[in-house]
Amino acid sequence: MMNNLITILPSYGAAVLVTLEVSVLAALLGIAGGFVINALRLRFTRSLALPYGFFVWLIRGTPYLSQLVVIYFGLPALGVTMSAVQATIVSLALYSSAYFAEIFRAAWNSVPHGQLEAAQVFGISRWARFRVIELPQAAAFALPLLANQVILVIKESSVASIITVPELTMTASGIVSATYTYIGPYALLIVAYWLLTQAVSLLAQQVSARIPFLRKTS
Amino acid sequence: MSALPIIQLRAVGKSYGANRVLKGIDLDVMRGEIVTLIGPSGSGKTTALRCMNFLEAYDEGEIWIKGQLLGYRSTGRTLRDRDSEATIAEIRRPVSMVFQQFNLWPHMSVLDNVATPLVLAKKVPKSEARRKALAALTRVGLEHKADVYPTRLSGGQQQRVGIARALAIEPEVMLLDEPTSALDPELVEEVLTVIRSLAQEGMTMVMVTHEMSFAAKISDKVVFMEAGRIVEAGPPAQLFGNTRTTRLQQFLKPWFDRSLSIAAPADGMTASTPQVEAAQA
Repeated sequence: MMNNLITILPSYGAAVLVTLEVSVLAALLGIAGGFVINALRLRFTRSLALPYGFFVWLIRGTPYLSQLVVIYFGLPALGVTMSAVQATIVSLALYSSAYFAEIFRAAWNSVPHGQLEAAQVFGISRWARFRVIELPQAAAFALPLLANQVILVIKESSVASIITVPELTMTASGIVSATYTYIGPYALLIVAYWLLTQAVSLLAQQVSARIPFLRKTS
Repeated sequence: MSALPIIQLRAVGKSYGANRVLKGIDLDVMRGEIVTLIGPSGSGKTTALRCMNFLEAYDEGEIWIKGQLLGYRSTGRTLRDRDSEATIAEIRRPVSMVFQQFNLWPHMSVLDNVATPLVLAKKVPKSEARRKALAALTRVGLEHKADVYPTRLSGGQQQRVGIARALAIEPEVMLLDEPTSALDPELVEEVLTVIRSLAQEGMTMVMVTHEMSFAAKISDKVVFMEAGRIVEAGPPAQLFGNTRTTRLQQFLKPWFDRSLSIAAPADGMTASTPQVEAAQA
């Protein structure tokens, strides 16, 4: 049993890297996308309210798997062909950007309006208000929520096993069907995901602890 | 001293939908003058104050800051083109403000709260801005708190930082919106002391307040508002001493009663009012 586990470890190592590559790239693109979407929504509140609502409603109202297959199997009909890994990154970034945008929306709403009035009265421009007054506070508010959403992205990346991306879940299933052993490979699969998500969680806590204005004593 | 008012309101009106909260306000604020706005809740005094720096867009009449029309490109009655935010910022540059809820920026140190408007809006170099901010903090007696975050301070101290921030930009007039209303009673005095010292230095101020004794002592002009109109305006001796306006007499009666009941035992009398008896029981 232990021998078996040791022989399959290298393939898990490679699979962890694929899972990491896919989810880190998707999360970074998703965070950037969500940030830009929220910033545009703030700047063009009236004209973008409807498109924004529609986008979030559409993405959150449909399963990620369906979005993945539309992008991977559907887009080639329109002449857009992607590898399985590319399709996963693009679809996961799109999917998570809606959630990230909502996190940023909540974070921006958490800054009291009076603080912006003060900035306005003292002649601080709209862009400087965004950068200097809102951004630091919104980012601190958003951090734990962002970490949580990144964890969801890592877990959701397992869906890519269906279109044969050689990430963790696909690799574990391959080993199971080749060796007819279940407990070892699947236990290792769960431990691998758990380690990844714990790393994100700890990282966020470390960053949070270093934000000076959130410290309880100073 | 120039005869031109720093702030001039002419028939200023403001509506929220069908609710007309200001119904034609006329007011001149001269250089060096201290004007207090008093009146019951909902009388429009805070709205009037917030119109004076275009935090609220008034929609009738005109407001002039040092002879420049605030907020609009023309003096017409309706459908006026609003100025750009940059132009409005330029015109209200001499006007500073202190807020009821302080509205400090909690992610910045006390010093940065005061220095940031100088750096971002007045384009003062950072080191000079910090020097000016420290000088402003010294004026409110808080230079030793420069490096802490505002949440570490008491409400009274936070409001003094708010005043320092408003002073640091070297305003020609300060608007104060109920500066002591959010404070515990025992913290009110330290803020009033700071405001009194500004008054002695000749700062022009427009203040909304419920501190009647303070308004009576400090003001050059008191403005009593009710239901969006100015009912009576004049020197404090007129409004607090011998007003002929029934509504103002009603409004001031609780304050007079309270002053009398506090004064009674101090005259060497035994406690005779119900309030004092209750307090002793």
